[in-house]
Amino acid sequence: MDHSQKTFRDLVERHQGRVFSIALRIVGESGAAEEVAQDVFLELYRALPGLESEEHVTAWLRRVACHRATDALRRRAVRGYAAAEEYQDGMELRPAVRDFLPLMNRLEQLLLTLPPAQRAVMVLRYQEDLEPEDIATEMKMPLATVRSYLQRGVKMLRAKAQRTLKEYSRG
Amino acid sequence: MVEMKDDFEPELREQLRAREAPAGFADRVMARVAKRQQPQHRGWLGFGMPVWQWAVATLLVAAMVAGGLEREREQREQGERAREQVLLALHITGSTLREVQQKVGASDAVHEMNQKGAGAVIPEKDEP
Repeated sequence: MDHSQKTFRDLVERHQGRVFSIALRIVGESGAAEEVAQDVFLELYRALPGLESEEHVTAWLRRVACHRATDALRRRAVRGYAAAEEYQDGMELRPAVRDFLPLMNRLEQLLLTLPPAQRAVMVLRYQEDLEPEDIATEMKMPLATVRSYLQRGVKMLRAKAQRTLKEYSRG
Repeated sequence: MVEMKDDFEPELREQLRAREAPAGFADRVMARVAKRQQPQHRGWLGFGMPVWQWAVATLLVAAMVAGGLEREREQREQGERAREQVLLALHITGSTLREVQQKVGASDAVHEMNQKGAGAVIPEKDEP
């Protein structure tokens, strides 16, 4: 694709919401998500001559954003960020962690209680509207794993959302 | 709030729609791209390493070479000292041997003269 700054800026403006949202929903923190999203676009700038079409760019951005965000989350967990540990234990978020994510809606917060790979699959399915077969291809995962992640992810989120709703109605 | 009905998945899709990136995001990306494109200072040798890195590398190599030479000099000096000590020991041993040999030679000559009976009898030192 054309490598000029103008073309690249247009690409950034068209895809920035997608890439930032993928990063935010996997990393769970706005500053870290922006850092990941910027890195993804810098990587795209270098990779652009090898990409043939806008569809190719979109698929590339989804895949690289998922991988870079998962890597960033792993690094944060290694460095011992409390919130990152919390996301990975598969439990409900504690109120202190919820306060850490004021900009996210309740379902986005609940999504952070899933393991990172499952989170990525859920984001590709429900944010990007990809079919399980396409997710399996883009993430290089077995289709059965993708289906299982989706099925269990929806079930868990539904149960957690239901519990939240009950707590909310109880006051 | 999430409604608890069978169409949970459409609700999920609705709440997970892509958000807008933070204001000024594209500008920040373009600034980083521009920064990357600035020619890097490559140093006078032009191998992509700045001059200060070459200087540090040169100092390190010089320190290693100097350290190696110094160690070699110390080993040579130690060898010299050991050689001198051996020579001194040999010299002392040689002198002692010569002295003993002279005494033994002198004693033999006196004994021989006494036996031949020529001139005055010189008492042999070993006789009581």
